[in-house]
Amino acid sequence: MSSTFLDRESTIAPPGYNRFLVPPAALAVHLSIGQAYAFSTFNLPLTKLVGITQSAPSDWKLTDVGWTFSIAIAILGLSAAAFGRWVERVGPRKSMFTSALCFGGGFMVSAIGVHFHSLWLLYLGYGVLGGCGLGIGYISPVSTLIKWFPDRPGMATGMAIMGFGGGALIAAPLSILLMEHFKTRTSNGVLESFVTMGVIYFMFMMIGVLTVRVPAADWKPVGWSESKKPKLLVTNADVAVDMAWRTPQFWLLWGVLCMNVTAGIGVLGQASPMIQEIFSGRVTPSAAAGFVGLLSLFNMGGRFVWATASDYLGRRNTYMVFFLLGIALYSLVPWFGHLGSVPLFVAAFAVILSMYGGGFATIPAYLRDMFGTMNVGAIHGRLLTAWSVAGVLGPVLVNYIRQFQIDHGVPKAQAYSITMYIMCALLLVGFLCNFAMHPVSEKYHYRAPEPAK
Amino acid sequence: MSFRFIVLWLAVLVPLAWGVMRTLQNALKLFS
Repeated sequence: MSSTFLDRESTIAPPGYNRFLVPPAALAVHLSIGQAYAFSTFNLPLTKLVGITQSAPSDWKLTDVGWTFSIAIAILGLSAAAFGRWVERVGPRKSMFTSALCFGGGFMVSAIGVHFHSLWLLYLGYGVLGGCGLGIGYISPVSTLIKWFPDRPGMATGMAIMGFGGGALIAAPLSILLMEHFKTRTSNGVLESFVTMGVIYFMFMMIGVLTVRVPAADWKPVGWSESKKPKLLVTNADVAVDMAWRTPQFWLLWGVLCMNVTAGIGVLGQASPMIQEIFSGRVTPSAAAGFVGLLSLFNMGGRFVWATASDYLGRRNTYMVFFLLGIALYSLVPWFGHLGSVPLFVAAFAVILSMYGGGFATIPAYLRDMFGTMNVGAIHGRLLTAWSVAGVLGPVLVNYIRQFQIDHGVPKAQAYSITMYIMCALLLVGFLCNFAMHPVSEKYHYRAPEPAK
Repeated sequence: MSFRFIVLWLAVLVPLAWGVMRTLQNALKLFS
C-alpha cells in the first residue's frame, strides 16, 4: 500500500527521536483553536458592519451574533464524538491537517458572510466548519501524547490542553490589533481580520502538521517499564471505543466532566458583569476586563499544573480536590462579596477557574487509566459531548437565575448568591460520580481476535 | 539540544508569552 505524507505510517518516529518535540506540535494546534474563547472580541464589531461607528437598523443583533460561539462549541463536542474513531485510524498528521483546513476555512467562509452580510454564512463558517476544526483539532494530539509519555500522561496532555486555554490570551489582543490596523471610514476591519486570522492560524497549525510524530509500536521511554504492581484505578488492559461507552465508568466520567465544566463555564462567561455588580462602584469596566484576563491565566495555568499534579496524586484524588475545594470556595464567595473583599473574591475565582482548566486537562489521562491507550482519543472525543451540554447548562444557570432574582426584587449585588449555592450542588453531583468510580469489568476488555488455524 | 528543538519551542512559547504579558498588563488594573 502506498504511503503518503499525511498517513500515519509516514509519521512513525525513527529510533532515538526526542519525544519533547511532540508537545510543541500539539501546542501549535491547541494555541490556534483556543482562539474560540476570544471570539467575543468580534461580537460588538459584528453588530456594526453596516453602521461602522454604531449599529444601524439593518445590522445584526448582539444576541444573533452570540449564537456563533455557541454553535462552534456545540459542533466541537459533536465533531469530536463523531470523528474520534477516524482520528485514531488516520493518525495525528492527517487529522491535524483536516482541522487546520476546517478552522482556517471557517474564517474564510465567515469573511464571505461578512462581505455579503449573511448571518447564515457566519454560522456555517465559524460555527459549523470552524467548530469541526475545533473538535478534530482538540482530540488529534491527545492519544499521540499519551503514547509518547506513558510515564507522565497527565503532564503531556496538560501541556497540550494548556494551549487551548492560552489561545485566547493570544487571540484577544491579536484580534483587536488587526481590527485597528484594517479599520477605515467604510469598514471596521472585521472582514480583513477574519481573512488574516484564517491564514495565520492555518500556517501556525501547519507547524504541528509538519512536526508531529507517533512512536513505533514497541517504543518505550528509556529506563521505563510498565508497572507490574497493580493499581486499583489504572488498567494495563484496553477497552474499545464502542465498548467503552457501554460501561458505567464512561458515564460516571461524563458526569464528572460535565459538572466540573458547568461550574466554571457560566462564571467565565459572566465574570465581567458579575464583579462589577457585586462590587458596584468599586470595580470599573476596565478593571473587570483585567479580572477576566486573570481568570483566563489561571484557566490556562491550571491545565498544566493540575494535570501534572494528577500524575503524582492519582486521577480520582485530583478530582476529589476539584470538587471539595470547589464546593468550599463557591460557598465562601457570597461571604467574600458581603465582606467587600475584592482580593479574596478574585483569589477564590482564580482557584476555581484553575480547577475548571485542570478538569479538562486531566480527563484524557483519567480515560487512559480506566480504558487503556488503544482508543483513548476516540473515547475522549465521545466524552467531550459533556462539554457541549455544560456549555449550554452553565451560562443558562448563571444568567437566568440572576435575572429571575433581579426580577423578584433581589439587589444586583446579591443576585449571584443562589447561583453559587447551585454550583455547589452541581459539584456535589460530580463528587459523587467520582466517588463511585471503580475499575472497568474484565468483560469489557479488548481481546485481539484469535488467528485463523 | 538540537536546533529544531529550540526553534519549535520558541515558535509556540513566544506568541504565548506575548499573550500572557498583554493579559497581565490588563489584570494589574484590577488592583491599581
